[in-house]
Amino acid sequence: MRFAAGVDVGSTQTKAVILAEDGGQSGHPARSSDHVGTPPESPRIVARAVVDTGAHVSRAAEQAFHAACREAGLDPREIGLVVGTGYGRYKIAFGHAQVTEISCHARGAHFVFPETRTVIDIGGQDAKVIRVGPEGEVRDFVMNDKCAAGTGRFLANAAEVLGLRLEEIGPLSLQATDPVKLTTVCTVFVESDILSYLAQGRRPEDILRGVHLAIARRTVSLARRIPIEPAITFTGGVARNVGMVRALEEVLGLSIHVSPESHFMGALGAALFALDRLKRRAEAGAAPEERGWQ
Amino acid sequence: MSCIAGIDVGTGFTKAVLVEVEGEHPSGETLILGRGITKTGAYLEDAARHALEQALRAAGRDRDDIVYVAVTGFGRYAVGFRDIQITEITSGARGAIWLFPEASAVLDIGNQSTRAIRLDARGKVSAFKMNEKCAAGSGSFLMRVAKYLQIELEELGEISLRATRPQPISSVCAVLAETEIINHVSAGAAIEDIVRGVHNSLADRAVLLLRRVGAGSDGRDASPLVFIGGVARQRGMIVALEERLGRPVRVPPECEFVCALGAALLGLHRWRKFRSEALPPLTSP
Repeated sequence: MRFAAGVDVGSTQTKAVILAEDGGQSGHPARSSDHVGTPPESPRIVARAVVDTGAHVSRAAEQAFHAACREAGLDPREIGLVVGTGYGRYKIAFGHAQVTEISCHARGAHFVFPETRTVIDIGGQDAKVIRVGPEGEVRDFVMNDKCAAGTGRFLANAAEVLGLRLEEIGPLSLQATDPVKLTTVCTVFVESDILSYLAQGRRPEDILRGVHLAIARRTVSLARRIPIEPAITFTGGVARNVGMVRALEEVLGLSIHVSPESHFMGALGAALFALDRLKRRAEAGAAPEERGWQ
Repeated sequence: MSCIAGIDVGTGFTKAVLVEVEGEHPSGETLILGRGITKTGAYLEDAARHALEQALRAAGRDRDDIVYVAVTGFGRYAVGFRDIQITEITSGARGAIWLFPEASAVLDIGNQSTRAIRLDARGKVSAFKMNEKCAAGSGSFLMRVAKYLQIELEELGEISLRATRPQPISSVCAVLAETEIINHVSAGAAIEDIVRGVHNSLADRAVLLLRRVGAGSDGRDASPLVFIGGVARQRGMIVALEERLGRPVRVPPECEFVCALGAALLGLHRWRKFRSEALPPLTSP
């Protein structure tokens, strides 16, 4: 059995995934085309962990990785290879290689949903739309990392203004009957927009539906800059928000795939790249790679 | 004694200025009788009424003395007791040119919007651009920075002047810039260097807007830029602007009242015109 890890150091949270693969299957990446939502049997996810990134990026990466090792019941030295991704990937002292989060999300989404041709990834502080080829390779991408509008941060602020927990706002937004129209997508200005709607007696669910639709419209206008081709897979932390999934489907007029692993898709992609590299080394008969912390 | 009210219903604060109608100021200038300011909140007309009452108290006048009410700012249409509504571009330019007749450009940075205005030789608006879609470059950004750094908003301007190595704030979004500020703090950067970085970032945005109306100057124009709005109180911001523009930046002492003053002056002009034409002043619908 060989083990590989992917660590995705995002702006808000750091995720780690450990994959296990039977040594006998080397060189034959397992991929099935008939599953929906859950990753195939091999390679299989044996552990995942998430920690807040905070200001100490390299420490967060280490914590997430060690937490995943503990969950898997593995000694960190048993992990043959670690690939880092996300904006803080160069701060991962113990990693062997870095891969961009664009490639990792494409790879992860393709692993879980092989029919994926477009990936929408909304994280804590950025949003990306990636066009994916039949083998999970990146064909094109657009991203917004200049502005918090249309990111998880926008939703977190909206939740805070309404005094709700982040995980409550998606389900609540689905109960809307008369969504408000937001005049702004600026994360700062939306606070006063929300407060005025509250003062006017509008219901929180109608305000939240307006918030989700505003982000969905912004994301779709980003996505239209590259051709949107089904199937669409939604990844990143915001994909756990059911209100966002529905809002995107409504604005796109298409249904979208969401995996229970959506939050870990970048780390999963990184772990898959790590496994590839590990297998290539094993086939070449090379010695194990050295890691910073050993 | 009759007076004219100018009210500026801004996104953050509502300001009111009362000016004298009868008998001009000895210097020949119209006399400013009183000012009032209150947080705008969700009820715009109430805010306008509160600011006006404050100005009346400061002036020692009562409601019946007011013969004409000119309202400006984003909430101007919400004020039912207005006689006229004026855009904040026109009122800001009018107030600025009255205070500084030699001005050729106006920069107005408020809570949620930034406006760059170019004036022609007669002091009329010849071009303007505004940003009200994004908090980067607006006063609300400074408010959030002050809150995060646990510094009073009023202190930011002075603290910024002590900077020796301003920290770069590369983000063009007020929210994402906060993350950069957090990183600067945890990396041990001096507070004054961070605050100056924020002022520099705001000034960069303002200069881009000024350039788009042909008021960037870039050292070729020595006529002054009048900087108004609440953010003009921040001295670090004034220095950051002067460094970038290469032209003098003038700030009136009551910089957040300039639009309300401009509205009052335009209201006075209109009221006099009506009176001379022996027409009754316009009343609100």
